[in-house]
Amino acid sequence: MTYPRQTSKTWFMTSWPYRIFMLRELSGVFLAGYTILLVLLVANVHDGANAFTDFRNTLRSPALIVFNAVAFLFALLHTVTWFQAMPKVLPLRYGREHRLALALVGVNYLILLALTAVVLVIVLV
Amino acid sequence: MTVAATTAPTVTLEVARYHPERDERPTFERYDVPNRSEWVVLDALNYLKDHVDGTLSYRWSCRMGICGSCGIMLNGVPKLACAAFLRDYLPGPIRVEPLANFPIERDLITALDDFLEKLPEIKPWIVRSHPQPVEEGEYRQTPEELADFKQYSLCINCMLCYAACPVYQNDGDFLGPAVLALAQRYNHDSRDQGQGERQRRIWLDDATWDCTFVGECSVVCPKAVDPAGAIQQAKVESTMNWYRSLLPRFRRKRAGETM
Repeated sequence: MTYPRQTSKTWFMTSWPYRIFMLRELSGVFLAGYTILLVLLVANVHDGANAFTDFRNTLRSPALIVFNAVAFLFALLHTVTWFQAMPKVLPLRYGREHRLALALVGVNYLILLALTAVVLVIVLV
Repeated sequence: MTVAATTAPTVTLEVARYHPERDERPTFERYDVPNRSEWVVLDALNYLKDHVDGTLSYRWSCRMGICGSCGIMLNGVPKLACAAFLRDYLPGPIRVEPLANFPIERDLITALDDFLEKLPEIKPWIVRSHPQPVEEGEYRQTPEELADFKQYSLCINCMLCYAACPVYQNDGDFLGPAVLALAQRYNHDSRDQGQGERQRRIWLDDATWDCTFVGECSVVCPKAVDPAGAIQQAKVESTMNWYRSLLPRFRRKRAGETM
């Protein structure tokens, strides 16, 4: 009779790729929460200037600032994962060789930086 | 690594032992084997079987990373026993276990029935809707067309990717890295016309969409097959095919192309 394999509750602590896998799974909670915040934001904008100001004050609470910071870090983790995945999803071939992976990832980071700069200019200027 | 470790006369292996007629669960036994710089772990296992304990059971055949039989866990990482040198694990002890995520049959031997049952589901052979008669010659292929799938054809079914995949560990229904890489191998073969048939299987939830791109399958692959890449491509192609299937013109065309 074969022996079925047991999985310990902390199996994901054995290596970094597994830890990051579990972090990505956990990130769903925070990103879903952030989506709910966005929906509430839209609802408050719809309700007028006073509701929007109240909502902004609520967002300034330390708990929500920490929540947003964590959600932002998780979003960054997903961004890096997606950029890593891109050369695998889109294997650009030069002749018979798969190359250009680094260039593809680099272009993505450049676009990310450019868009971040645009957003910062809009928000801060 | 210290000089003492490299010159030590022996290195210790902690080998998982499980004999179903005798043991309730696997246990570890410690063995000292000669510490030879040219020995791989498979040499050490063969030494144990020949000189210490003939009841030790493990799979092996070619000794050169071709047959894919000798996959084991070394210090918790899936490796081919024939491709892992003792000298890279000094000073030891080296923990030797059967491949993770598969039921254990005996000692280091795992039951691979799950993989073997899943493999035919993606039809890992060239499917033709209109087979060409032999007298018309072979199916021609350019080097560029070969390059499109050659990487995936190098899979030796060693199961290291399944042992490294946490998705397969947590969801036994997942088709898994090697099966999906082989689906890509045939889907990308210019001689093949079975994409439509395979598509019906690989766009289901327990196929490509279970993968969350951990990527360890590609890290441990001894033949650089890159199953993680194959699965991500299959996701894109599955999505495109699904959108195409909504268009009547493509639906007719696809129906004519495949059986």
